Amino acid sequence: MGKQDREVRMSLQTMKVLEAFLENPTDQLSGAEVHRRSRLASGTLYPILLRLEAAGWFVSRWESIDPSSAGRPRRRLYRMTPTGLKRAGEVFASFSRGVFA
Amino acid sequence: MTSERMLDWVDGLGQDVIRRAARRAPAGLSERLEEEWLADFLERPGQFSRLRFAVGCCWATSVIAYNHRIAAVPVTGSASAQVNSFGLVQNNTPMVSRRTMTFLLVACLHAAALYALLVTVTKEVVHAPAPPLQNHVITEHRPVDVTSSLGPTIRDPVPIPQPPIDMPPIESESTEGAAVRVDDMSRNTAPTLTTTVNRVRGGPGAGFPIAEDFYPSGALFRGEQGIATVQACVDGMGRLISNPTLIQSTGSSRLDEAALRLAKAGSGHYRASTEDGHPVNSCYPFRIRFDLRN
Repeated sequence: MGKQDREVRMSLQTMKVLEAFLENPTDQLSGAEVHRRSRLASGTLYPILLRLEAAGWFVSRWESIDPSSAGRPRRRLYRMTPTGLKRAGEVFASFSRGVFA
Repeated sequence: MTSERMLDWVDGLGQDVIRRAARRAPAGLSERLEEEWLADFLERPGQFSRLRFAVGCCWATSVIAYNHRIAAVPVTGSASAQVNSFGLVQNNTPMVSRRTMTFLLVACLHAAALYALLVTVTKEVVHAPAPPLQNHVITEHRPVDVTSSLGPTIRDPVPIPQPPIDMPPIESESTEGAAVRVDDMSRNTAPTLTTTVNRVRGGPGAGFPIAEDFYPSGALFRGEQGIATVQACVDGMGRLISNPTLIQSTGSSRLDEAALRLAKAGSGHYRASTEDGHPVNSCYPFRIRFDLRN
């Protein structure tokens, strides 16, 4: 993957995004779907998605459709990596212990 | 303009805003963000929601560009690349983010301004009325029975009027059985003390603390004032020989306590009572006035 498992500055909004993915970690979610689950505004959501992707917690890919035949642009789909899943679990575990990671 | 055309116009405006926002994103991300955002834009229900989404994308671009500058890592890969080095992710993540620092700074500035305002208002409340506190220690020229409180340390200067004793003659029997008549004892009573002592009662003397220094702040704020009567027992040196007691309250517990504190603090500064010019131990009441003069 070429990505490093780097520290991510955790915030409430970031945790909401992680929570949206943790509902079903194998889901591949578009930004619109993450918005529906987390209720975060686009100005907050996309920087977080890019940040988590850069940290290796998420990977993304284009939707496998032909835009011209579908009549709409392709969605960008995000999915949690095993590293991201592990780190997100640690974050929520430490948060429940009262220690913010 | 029909409503349908209006909706189309709003959609077009939103898409235009998104395209412009995406173009301001860091190189390599523009195309990806434009396509991604346009796809998500179309999934938003309602024109108002779409417009909000488009405006949010402008903000997202600013944040992404800012984070990209912070990361100072060259962006690699194309729009379709899954890997990009974009990141505000840092190994040494600060404990407090820049946004939090800014918020704290603003909060501190507000707190400082509020504190300054409160201090100013408090000073005005305390000083604006400028009530020069008057300390009136009123000495009462009343005769005091010093014998009752001081006992043997006080000379007994006050002539105690002896009630006339008029007793009937007592007859006692002698061993011989002869009756002996005893004279009326009233004629043999102790000689009346006719010596007069020039007594000058003491009171607060030089260097005695003033009420202003003991005026409780709570009483100041509430505008409480009054006169307390305190009884103090002092020796010949003007020092307290017992704790002063409150004889008459001001009506305010704060002022009463302050009066007792003042009376205690004045130990050594009392003017001793004198008898024939000689200082003696004595107890006397005096008044302490807590007055807010306008």
